[in-house]
Amino acid sequence: MSIEQQEKRRALGFVAPALLWTCAFFLVPFAVMVLLSLAHLEGREIIQSYDLGNYLKIFTEPSLFKGIVVSLEITLIVTIISVLLAWPLAWIIATQVPEKYQRLAIMLAVLPFWTSYVVRSYSWALVLGQQGVLMQMLMGIGFLDEPIQIMATRGATVIGFVHFFVMLLTLTIYSNLIQLSPNYARAAADLGASGWNTFRLVILPLTLPGIMTGAFLTFVLCIGDYITPQILGGNNELTMPQLIMLQLGRRGDFPMASALSVILMLLVTLAYAATARWLKMERV
Amino acid sequence: MRMLGWAYMAAIFIFIFLPVVVLVLFSFQESRLPVPPFDGPTLKWYTQVIADRNLMEALRNSLFVALISAAIALLLGFFAAQGLSRVKLPGSVLMRGVLIAPMTVSYLIIALGLLTVFNNMGFRPSLWTTGIGHVVINLPLCFAILFAAMGDHQKNAERAARDLGASEIQIMFLVTAPMLKPALLAAYFLAVTFSWDEFIIAFLLTRFDVTLPVEIWSMLRSGLSPATNAIGSLVFLVSIAILIILEFTVFRKPKS
Amino acid sequence: MSYNLKSALSVTAAFLMSTTALYAADDLNALVWCDHTDPALLQPFEEQHGVRVNVKEYEGTAAGFAILDQSRTGDWDIMVIDTVDVARGAEEGRFASLPADAVDTSSFFPEVVMADNNTHDGQIYGVTEKFGYNTIAFNSSKVDAGDMEDMSNLWSGKYDGRIAVYDYYLPVLGLIGLEQGIATSDLDAAAVERLRDRTYGLKSAALQVSDVVASQTALATGEVDILIGGGEWVTAVLSAENPELDWSVPAEGALRWSQSVTMLESSENQELALEFIKYITGPEGQARLATSSCYWGMPANSAAGRELTDAEKAALRWDQQADYLIRTQLYPTPDADLDLAMQDLWTDMLQQ
Repeated sequence: MSIEQQEKRRALGFVAPALLWTCAFFLVPFAVMVLLSLAHLEGREIIQSYDLGNYLKIFTEPSLFKGIVVSLEITLIVTIISVLLAWPLAWIIATQVPEKYQRLAIMLAVLPFWTSYVVRSYSWALVLGQQGVLMQMLMGIGFLDEPIQIMATRGATVIGFVHFFVMLLTLTIYSNLIQLSPNYARAAADLGASGWNTFRLVILPLTLPGIMTGAFLTFVLCIGDYITPQILGGNNELTMPQLIMLQLGRRGDFPMASALSVILMLLVTLAYAATARWLKMERV
Repeated sequence: MRMLGWAYMAAIFIFIFLPVVVLVLFSFQESRLPVPPFDGPTLKWYTQVIADRNLMEALRNSLFVALISAAIALLLGFFAAQGLSRVKLPGSVLMRGVLIAPMTVSYLIIALGLLTVFNNMGFRPSLWTTGIGHVVINLPLCFAILFAAMGDHQKNAERAARDLGASEIQIMFLVTAPMLKPALLAAYFLAVTFSWDEFIIAFLLTRFDVTLPVEIWSMLRSGLSPATNAIGSLVFLVSIAILIILEFTVFRKPKS
Repeated sequence: MSYNLKSALSVTAAFLMSTTALYAADDLNALVWCDHTDPALLQPFEEQHGVRVNVKEYEGTAAGFAILDQSRTGDWDIMVIDTVDVARGAEEGRFASLPADAVDTSSFFPEVVMADNNTHDGQIYGVTEKFGYNTIAFNSSKVDAGDMEDMSNLWSGKYDGRIAVYDYYLPVLGLIGLEQGIATSDLDAAAVERLRDRTYGLKSAALQVSDVVASQTALATGEVDILIGGGEWVTAVLSAENPELDWSVPAEGALRWSQSVTMLESSENQELALEFIKYITGPEGQARLATSSCYWGMPANSAAGRELTDAEKAALRWDQQADYLIRTQLYPTPDADLDLAMQDLWTDMLQQ
């Protein structure tokens, strides 16, 4: 056996445990779930029927189909708002803040990351309620006469999400920005490009990888999240994770939960395909 | 323009910090509901939380799962990165894809898949099943960080060590690992954090011995109380403390 | 390096031992409603018997049975369940029969002994432990109490946006049925379908559809003024700080909930399970259960009255029970198919 072959065999031995783990506890369960999504519930019995009944039901039953629409709408709104809010912040930190304070500024910007995930949504419920801090403050300064309803609406869910993802996106866009040389902007200016054109033609394209990586992560995490809409949305519309948990928690309908999950997975795959050319997942 | 920038930054910072400030402030609330007007301060909710047997047990369970699952994920990820960065294997792109794949999937799907399989195999949900799930989500993270960190200079050092007769295990622990120390530490602490704070996998894959996020969730569901603020503030405080310690020790840039 | 590794391993081992040690002792595993998770309720029993009670909460009988189906034999010892579903579970062979003399029900409120529901084929399978009402809870300082005597006022538009609906399909669909003049025992697939428009109407008048705590919170903070499906279980726990919270049984009637404690047939710990049932139905356990942290409710055993304070009894409306018991009906008892149909209607309503 040549040395090269020996090397390869050894390398394979190193990769094998991780591959086996991922296969056993990720790929196989996913395959089982796909199979299960082709079964159906009779009474409380799961009957393996290998048909598309659940999928048909998802697309014909308005309350289930609406889950897909609601989830997509919320996720897209959140992703767009988060990018629009985070980009300027990352830019300001990368260009206006003196270099030795930048690390501090970024750490501050993502500090609330470190609160517990479940508690974060709960905190927003305390802020946004009619008796909450925000309304009391706005009424205190005379901005509002009476509280407006944000809690238990889609607005509350979106605010809760945007809060989290602005932090995430600021991080990915900032780390992208500081890799750029300021010379690009200067060169563009020297060539006579206006501020807007410099931004549009030079800076924005160069930060696209950071934006897209963050946007994709936002999409995946947002569309799969159960807690935020459950705590803040007031059950006035159900997202896909809420529907999945409803199937599990109340009906014990594993096949339907699996079918909904498979569709969720497909949506994420689509998002991946749409952003793939900018993504460097190995470098997140 | 500059003023506008600072104003914008201030506004976003207010937005980012508003819920945290409210959370911490109302953990000192005297009356039963954590809403204005503020009538504290009192420490009674903190005493209550620290005396809560279930919470403290959940805290220990969380630490247990986080430390161990992150260690396994790190070890597996380290070996895999080592194998894939060293030689060009047939199908290495596919292998990398498989290893990274769980990162692009919602945790809920991973949890549901594992729940189905464990149910079929008759495994009871427990901290172990949760730990398995957490390794699944953290393995891609550890792999990605370490794979990106492995470079030529470290390959050269390995080759030199091999030429001097070091065994593979010696090379890995005495040459590669020390050279990758910052990346290894970063990967480990990130994995610990993710596992520590993960909810849905732990929620679906535990039974009685729950982790802290699950216990906080059932606390939320059993009554609105400043005690929830108190445990939330405590977790925040501890995380920040660890972060600051790390910043000034491990991740401190060597003075040039 | 190796020293660090060793110490890390020993710390790990210590963790492991301490976690397993806790569960090696004689444990009682109970599938319960959230009121049984209060440590103040479990601790006296645990100390007295030197055991640990592990509890897992669930909502809705269908979900509870699904958990049992996915578990292994011997996983569970105790189950708390809707009294109306005890016989169904017994018929499916899930519960163990209880010795006739296990629990003395002579001091129970006679209406809630519910022997018919708790027995199957002449054997006792469950004991009623707690009851209360799913009716209309409201903030008396903001709502005209007279309006709450007639349920149809909820659809009149007067209270739009000030209503919360309790997120549990059985009692709320039961209430809507009563408003439409359908007794809970007459609810069948056709009747449920007839409730669809009325249910959607309620959703459009409501601000939110929420679980126990979110409902309590919304009432207590003034987010909403009316909770449909509410009752003493939501107001009593808040009575000290929010005395303006009230509830009433409207002219159309309301629903009475009651929960029973049962022992699983597959339990390997039946002796201890029986002790637990005795504790939870005895005066001390009953008093603690009545005022447990998730929600309050009337104890089935009137002997608990000795252990409760006057304020607690007032919050529970101890003295008005006779009237309420007459004017309320039991939960609907759907079979598996009707249960799914009711859940489907509920999901449709949430997505409106």
